[in-house]
Amino acid sequence: MANEQTLTGGSLLFQVLQQHGVQHVFGYPGGAIMPIYDALYDSDVEHFLCRHEQGAAFSAVGYARASGKVGVCLATSGPGATNLITGLADALADSIPVVAITGQVATAAMGSDAFQEVDIFGLSLACTKHSFQVTDINELEKVLHKAFAIALEGRQGPVLVDIPKDIQLAQVNGVMGDFSSLKNKVKLPPANVGSAIALLSQAKKPVLYVGGGVGMANAIDELRAFIDITGLPSVSTLKGLGAIDPDHCSYLGMLGMHGTKAANIAVQECDLLVAVGARFDDRVTGKLNEFAPNAKVIHFDIDTAEINKRRKVDAAILGDLKVNLPALAIPLSIEKWREECQQMKKDFAWRYDHPHETIFAPAVLKELSDKMPHNTVVTTDVGQHQMWSAQHMQFDDPSNFLTSGGMGTMGFGLPAAIGAQVSRPTDCVITVSGDGSFMMNVQELSTIKRFQLPVKIVLIDNAKLGMVRQWQDLFFNGRLSETDLSDNPDFVMLATAFDIKAKQITKKCEVSAAIEEMLTHDGAYLLQVKIDAQDNVWPLVPPETANDKMMEST
Amino acid sequence: MNHYELLIVADDKQVVLERILQVARYRGFLISGINAQVNTGNNIGTIKLSVRSDRSIDLLVDQINKLIDIKSVKVDNNGVMPVCA
Repeated sequence: MANEQTLTGGSLLFQVLQQHGVQHVFGYPGGAIMPIYDALYDSDVEHFLCRHEQGAAFSAVGYARASGKVGVCLATSGPGATNLITGLADALADSIPVVAITGQVATAAMGSDAFQEVDIFGLSLACTKHSFQVTDINELEKVLHKAFAIALEGRQGPVLVDIPKDIQLAQVNGVMGDFSSLKNKVKLPPANVGSAIALLSQAKKPVLYVGGGVGMANAIDELRAFIDITGLPSVSTLKGLGAIDPDHCSYLGMLGMHGTKAANIAVQECDLLVAVGARFDDRVTGKLNEFAPNAKVIHFDIDTAEINKRRKVDAAILGDLKVNLPALAIPLSIEKWREECQQMKKDFAWRYDHPHETIFAPAVLKELSDKMPHNTVVTTDVGQHQMWSAQHMQFDDPSNFLTSGGMGTMGFGLPAAIGAQVSRPTDCVITVSGDGSFMMNVQELSTIKRFQLPVKIVLIDNAKLGMVRQWQDLFFNGRLSETDLSDNPDFVMLATAFDIKAKQITKKCEVSAAIEEMLTHDGAYLLQVKIDAQDNVWPLVPPETANDKMMEST
Repeated sequence: MNHYELLIVADDKQVVLERILQVARYRGFLISGINAQVNTGNNIGTIKLSVRSDRSIDLLVDQINKLIDIKSVKVDNNGVMPVCA
């Protein structure tokens, strides 16, 4: 039922947010968004003041990824808006539904190089799924509904709505009527179900390659049933982790640059690759024309543009995975291949018998994974600790492992953990960070303090930009250019300054007790884990190399 | 380098032309010509875009088609005309 009432543009915004079930937003006020913040004052929507707009954007991303809802962030014009851009680019690369609201200078001042004016609408073209600039108050309600619909429709993504200050202040009769979601404009071609079933039936060595699209499509149950029925050996991308049951006998682990040896060899040897919600990213394929060289390809996706983008497919299954996966779930006679894969999994299992006295990060993360409560959300930053987390921690749902995949954004972990904790207040939230990444959004410790969020921080500290240092050692003749961080602050003292309990450990014998202390602590906690600066992430597929030619620990 | 003509029909919405040009450039297509008109009666824009690239035109068609305000994209010359790079 329509319910017409006179509102300002700012009040209308919060009414529409509430219509879409938004309870929490992340943001930072400023001159050109003051009427919206004034309307917030009377709204039931809860606002989380971050200490940088990039933190607000990543918190919205973390909120969306952990909850499956749209994440919302607010920023003022000019620098406030440009500070959102990295978060929006991250959301675009990983297909995360976010609605970003930016204040803009008044319409009369637009285009005059006014104070804090930037063309965020123009800047948004390359880092959002879609964007709007509202120059007529009568369009605002419709635009806001569309923003939510577009963020969630088809392949999800971020949408920006730029609202000039006079539009925020203008009076409007908000209709507050029913809203309907968009119809998918792109007509999907009929799925090649017949060809795909023929390919599956004929394959002797098929492999299932699972990406982030499975979680986004909420098709985890359908995927797991598909694996049970077909018995396909399966591998996962970074963003797909958690979709496949990590304890399932067919699961071979992550593939790609830092994938498991079993996963990469199985994919290289397979004669049929069944890609589900995955996009043949370069970190997955290694040298593209040597990736799965003998395989035919079946590709399930929601996005037509991903079909044949990097790899020609033999059968495309476009559309909803919840419908399409069951349509192809047929039992396969591939017992010999299954046994071969399971033998590889056994032969190439991770080893934790680290001979040195220093703390071995993979073992710490394995122990943390074993001890953390069920349904814990883990976020990471980007670098060595991220790859060790992906390799050595286990997740039973993609919404429990939030990591910046496509964009690889350092500074993601801490604000994403804040968003995750806000969306799931009763679940344990842990961010695994590195000493380089942590400093990129360290100001968000203040957000943790302000809202008393019990986020746990595991800081893997090698006083280096570890992944870049590893590459400099391996591929740039050990010329360690600008990767030394030995002048890092005292992280324990830093956390303490934000009233966050903190501890540093340097020896293996301290690990178990420290993990237990952190997990049982009632409140935020920072555990600084000092590791050897020379530790590398293994295996590693060098750039432009086939995935079976991986470098391994000596 | 191959030359293609695209016929794009779009809603006459803010920055739709900029979006198309941005996608074409980002996806590796050089723009050799453009002709755009709006039918003010129905607010539908028609854009003829000439592009050059070594890449398959399907890549660009799919990406333009994903833009929210686009109604249709067709390759107008039914194939490929080689031109000097």
